[in-house]
Amino acid sequence: MYVPEIELHECDSIEQAAALMTRYGGEARLLAGGTDLLVDLKTQRLRTSHLVSLRRVAVLRGVTLEEGNGPRSAGAFVRIGALTTINELDAAPLVRRHCAPLLDATREMATDQVRNLATVGGNLASAVPCADLPPILIALGATAVIWSRAGERVIPLETFCVGPRQTALQQGELLVAVRVPAARAGFGAAYARFALREGNAIAVASVAAGLALADDGAISELRIVLGAVAPTPALVAKANTALIGRPVDDEAIERAASIARQAASPISDIRGSAEYRRELVDVLTRRALAAAAQRVRENRT
Amino acid sequence: MTLVRTLLVNGQRHTLAVEPFDTLLDVLRDKLNLTGAKKACNVGDCGACTVLVDGRPVNSCLVLAVEVEGRPITTIEGLGEMREGVRELEPLQKAFVHEGGIQCGYCTPGMVMAATALLSRNPKPTTDEIKNALAGNLCRCTGYAGIVRAVQRCENYRDDGTCAAKRDGAHVPGRISRESAAEPGRYRSVGESLPRIDAVDKVTGRALYTADIRLPGMIYGKILGSTIAHGTIRRIDVSRAAALDGVLAVITGADVPDTTYGVSPARYDEHVLAKQKVRHVGDPVAAVAAIDERTAERAVALIDVEYDELPAVLDVFEATADGAPLVHERYARNIGTEVHQHFGDVDAAFARCDHVREEVFTGNHIYQCPLEPHAAIARWDSDGTLVLYTSTQAPHYVQYMLAHVFHIPVGRVRVIRPAVGGGFGGKAATTPLDLCAAVLSRKTGRPVTMRYSREEMFHYGRGRHKQHMTFKLGVDRDGRIQAFSSEIYLDGGAYSSFGVATAYYAGSMIPTLYHIPNYKYDGYRVMTNKPACGAMRGHGVPQPRFAFECLLNMIADDLSIDPVEIRRRNAMDPNTRTVNDMDIQSCEFRATLDAVEKKSGWRSKYGRLPPGRGIGIGCGGFVSGAGYCIYRGQVQLSHEKGPEPFQKHSIFPHANAIVKISEDGMAAVCMIGAAEIGQGSDTVLAQICAESLGIPVSRVRMRSEDSDISPIDLGAYSSRVTLMGGHAVSRAAAAVVEMLRPYAAKLLGCESSEVRARDGKMFVEGDASRSVDWAEAARKYFNENGPLVGSGCYKPPDGLGGDYKGATVGTSPAYSFGSAVCEVSVDLETGKVRVERFTDYHDCGTPINPQAVHGQVEGAIVMTAGETIMEDVQFDAKGRILNPNLHGYLMMSIKDAPEIFSDLVDSYEPRGPFGAKEIGEGATLPVLGAVAHAIANATGVWIKDLPITPEKILAALRERQRTTDVPAAAAVGTA
Ligand SMILES: Cc1cc2nc3c(=O)[nH]c(=O)nc-3n(C[C@H](O)[C@H](O)[C@H](O)COP(=O)(O)OP(=O)(O)OC[C@H]3O[C@@H](n4cnc5c(N)ncnc54)[C@H](O)[C@@H]3O)c2cc1C
Ligand code: FES
Ligand code: FES
Repeated sequence: MYVPEIELHECDSIEQAAALMTRYGGEARLLAGGTDLLVDLKTQRLRTSHLVSLRRVAVLRGVTLEEGNGPRSAGAFVRIGALTTINELDAAPLVRRHCAPLLDATREMATDQVRNLATVGGNLASAVPCADLPPILIALGATAVIWSRAGERVIPLETFCVGPRQTALQQGELLVAVRVPAARAGFGAAYARFALREGNAIAVASVAAGLALADDGAISELRIVLGAVAPTPALVAKANTALIGRPVDDEAIERAASIARQAASPISDIRGSAEYRRELVDVLTRRALAAAAQRVRENRT
Repeated sequence: MTLVRTLLVNGQRHTLAVEPFDTLLDVLRDKLNLTGAKKACNVGDCGACTVLVDGRPVNSCLVLAVEVEGRPITTIEGLGEMREGVRELEPLQKAFVHEGGIQCGYCTPGMVMAATALLSRNPKPTTDEIKNALAGNLCRCTGYAGIVRAVQRCENYRDDGTCAAKRDGAHVPGRISRESAAEPGRYRSVGESLPRIDAVDKVTGRALYTADIRLPGMIYGKILGSTIAHGTIRRIDVSRAAALDGVLAVITGADVPDTTYGVSPARYDEHVLAKQKVRHVGDPVAAVAAIDERTAERAVALIDVEYDELPAVLDVFEATADGAPLVHERYARNIGTEVHQHFGDVDAAFARCDHVREEVFTGNHIYQCPLEPHAAIARWDSDGTLVLYTSTQAPHYVQYMLAHVFHIPVGRVRVIRPAVGGGFGGKAATTPLDLCAAVLSRKTGRPVTMRYSREEMFHYGRGRHKQHMTFKLGVDRDGRIQAFSSEIYLDGGAYSSFGVATAYYAGSMIPTLYHIPNYKYDGYRVMTNKPACGAMRGHGVPQPRFAFECLLNMIADDLSIDPVEIRRRNAMDPNTRTVNDMDIQSCEFRATLDAVEKKSGWRSKYGRLPPGRGIGIGCGGFVSGAGYCIYRGQVQLSHEKGPEPFQKHSIFPHANAIVKISEDGMAAVCMIGAAEIGQGSDTVLAQICAESLGIPVSRVRMRSEDSDISPIDLGAYSSRVTLMGGHAVSRAAAAVVEMLRPYAAKLLGCESSEVRARDGKMFVEGDASRSVDWAEAARKYFNENGPLVGSGCYKPPDGLGGDYKGATVGTSPAYSFGSAVCEVSVDLETGKVRVERFTDYHDCGTPINPQAVHGQVEGAIVMTAGETIMEDVQFDAKGRILNPNLHGYLMMSIKDAPEIFSDLVDSYEPRGPFGAKEIGEGATLPVLGAVAHAIANATGVWIKDLPITPEKILAALRERQRTTDVPAAAAVGTA
């Protein structure tokens, strides 16, 4: 139960961090808050001989509002530095103003102590299926900003996790930020999670819903994202195609729930059977979608 | 590569050598000797290691020390203003001390740090804000109630530092029973909610637990556990481990005594290290001593073991099937203990019953999970005395067992019990740590310390037996119990441990709560290839009690009798000898029923709540100390003489105390080997001592931690300390007063028999104005006679129990009783249960310290409610534990804990000191049944299989929807 005898490398810039990572190749890991990494090292789930600490890379920290230029974010977006902690995210006025549904996740996850250490980048880059930020970020239409010596690339967040504990990051790449489209009229999102304990328990299943409604109340975009019930956070594209153009009524909610349930591919483990998780997906989808619809209405008034 | 870094801790700069991989927690504890922050899980799950970095709480076990270089770090040791070289307590710390926020204290430093951070950013937090901020800090003892109170009322402790003015008395009834009611103000210390005498040490991080102690030259040991559930060792190769730099000794089964050990003398079936066979994953196979724990851990991983794997049996029915592999050759069909008891004639009685119902219930595999992991330090003194510091709740049994294993006289073993961070039965037996540390110390000539990691604790086990129970209850048309029969299979794991007693307890306590004229119990304790189960809070009884209470509630519904009423009709009466010969003296069970019914608003709620909300009742009680010692005969090495035949009286006193008065008469030192493990025994015994001496508690110091100083007390199990230890202490103190009387009489000019002692004075009975200082009388005594020392002892009454096999188990001088009402809400779509509220009344006799009593109740409710709905050690098909950690094995967090109203009924136990009985274990017993009933009431479905998880509830609801058209919540309690 000790952290193995690793070498720790400190650096002040993204470039240095990337260079160190390239130098040690598969032997190195980036260290952000350490709340996943140190646990994995102590429990020998992971072995590595070098850690590259991001702590001093100040540009990776903080939340800013930026004008959009990408396909997804024609409007303003909130840029969240990868090294921003969960509690910093939770407290950021910009988040409260422009992407408040994130608070559904930050409030419920982990513990105050862990949230003071854990970073947004770590939560995404760990690519643990039950992580709380990915579903709601994906539902909000977030993108991942990935840095390499060749420059930055921006990918939709739903393509960032490619398998359990596997990301789309290539050798020499770092996650530097996520960009979340700022709240806009006609859009609402919510996150519903289920855990076996009220405090400090990871999600058994979770569902985020992002919902855009046209002026007539018809669904113009529906982003249902499932957590903890598939190898990666799963955007249920079929829910969007099936429900686009419809009003958010009970029938639509039922329909979305049943599509989500089918889209889930959960495993059975100590926290619940696959069948139970499917039931949870059903319930949570209905709850998240109803809450998102409520928020669209609130955003209007 | 070692680095030199400067850490800013508690306002001081420390420049020191750190390794890049050292966590902040290890640096604080091992390099800066700041041991307030605890290592209780090492992976972020418990919060015991919480410190502030830049004023924000973090888990220091999850931070590399080099990562916080130069940032201000505050630990518990840094709280409070320095004034003339002493740190004053912060108001928050005072609040923890006075509001019952502390029991074992192992969570306390982390809890206080997290709360400090909250209050600095939000000085007036709401209850929800408090719970959110503290959700990362687990507490196994307090039920969080005292902790929430402390943070809420912190403000009251500002300025003058007392709470007297603003304390709202709602929660501390402080009632004292009959004897004093007749003469108000008769007692000074007994009956007062005094803060724990160790609270200040615990709230400042000064209290030293075994893992906080470092002896000169001390080295570190680690045990290698089996990786398979069942097999024989073909070959062990320790050469790679022994060759590792820093390794000082490696031992295997060949290096340990052949003597087996255990708990019940007839079933000593454990070896210090496996001689040949391994019987569960984690079974100790080899051990290493090295210069530090990290090296020991690495060395253990270098030991190569080859096994011949045998098929494993993991469940009781598999294990008892014909031809099943045997865990031990000596236990046919893997049955280690079999109990058959029949009182009256159940078959004839069932035939006469108006209603009979039979149900099958299944318990769960619960682990005590004290917050402090077990730890030990062993050292051999030059005269051959073995000195063991250990985290135990039964120091004498450890002493006895070490003598047994090492073939040395009991008098050559000295056991020191530092502060203990909770036990709940999990620290009631001698551990492989105790024994291996002793072997390694003998081998290396150095003090050896060994600690379990959280995962190793689970593999060591000794948790609650999972019981499979078939219960049949027959009543007449008014619901009066006519007959009860039960068959129980207890899943014992790989060794006997306490299991013989467990199997008997599972049956013996059922007839103590209700009159049961005809009673039959068949019990089988079965060996399986899992960690051994042992004695956990309520020893053997909680699961049968759960099943019985559920069955009684089902029958009440079947007959349309109110569940409270059916209990009243069957309730135990005082001065009863039960059908199984348990000797009940005081019993105010009915009063607890009446009180709980009224206070909870039962009548307006039961059967009247909307679907998804429910209310339920459960009852229970327990022994106040086992009537007989675990081993037979006198205190001697068992090899010296064979065991003496059983006699129905105690050979030696179970509790013994010495009270020594300082030469100036100003302090009393109370010596008794009773184990303070967080339950508050030192405080309660100090109160009893002070009361009996007639001096304030502030003048009493407890010396209970060292067997060289304190005479034997059998330990903190079977809820025995208040009654038995209390008697021993009060008798020792009375002996002192007796010695003082002539001297006081001389000073007062009265007869010795007229002298009374109270408030630090000795006075003439009936005329308190004629008084002398107590201390003056004591000085006079010393001047003439030398040391003023009194001693006292306690033996349970002779003749307890009947004459049948196993009649001793369940005997006790006195029994407690209690009733609890639970209210829940259930999310009918997910099955998720929220335990909203508990109303609990107990008959614990006279509460010596009401706040401590409520602390036990609150802690028991939260622990046991969690046990009912979420706790379960789970195994895979190979016998490996799937959740040996605090994120997989869930215990209630502060956010899960219900609101609790706890109160006591008036009661006086003639056999207890000052009328006292027990509370620690009895408080768990009503809980499971009450929660289960409330869930059934909310959902309309009974779950008879613990834990009652959301998944099981939902499955049952679905099943019912499929089979009937009954709408939710129409089946239970709405008749
Ligand atoms: C007690 C406890 C409770 C928890 N509860 C929850 C919970 O409820 N919900 C939840 O979602 N999580 C939970 N977690 C998990 C964890 O806290 C989060 O996943 C956290 O956000 C991880 O962030 P970190 O900064 O600590 O990551 P680290 O541990 O530092 O890193 C995690 C991984 O991400 C990589 N990485 C980090 N930053 C970058 C980057 N910028 N670019 C590329 N790779 C990077 C690292 O190399 C590593 O592989 C819990 C953890 C603990 C210990
Ligand atoms: S020891 Fe750090 S959280 Fe448990
Ligand atoms: S007092 Fe909290 S764990 Fe013991």
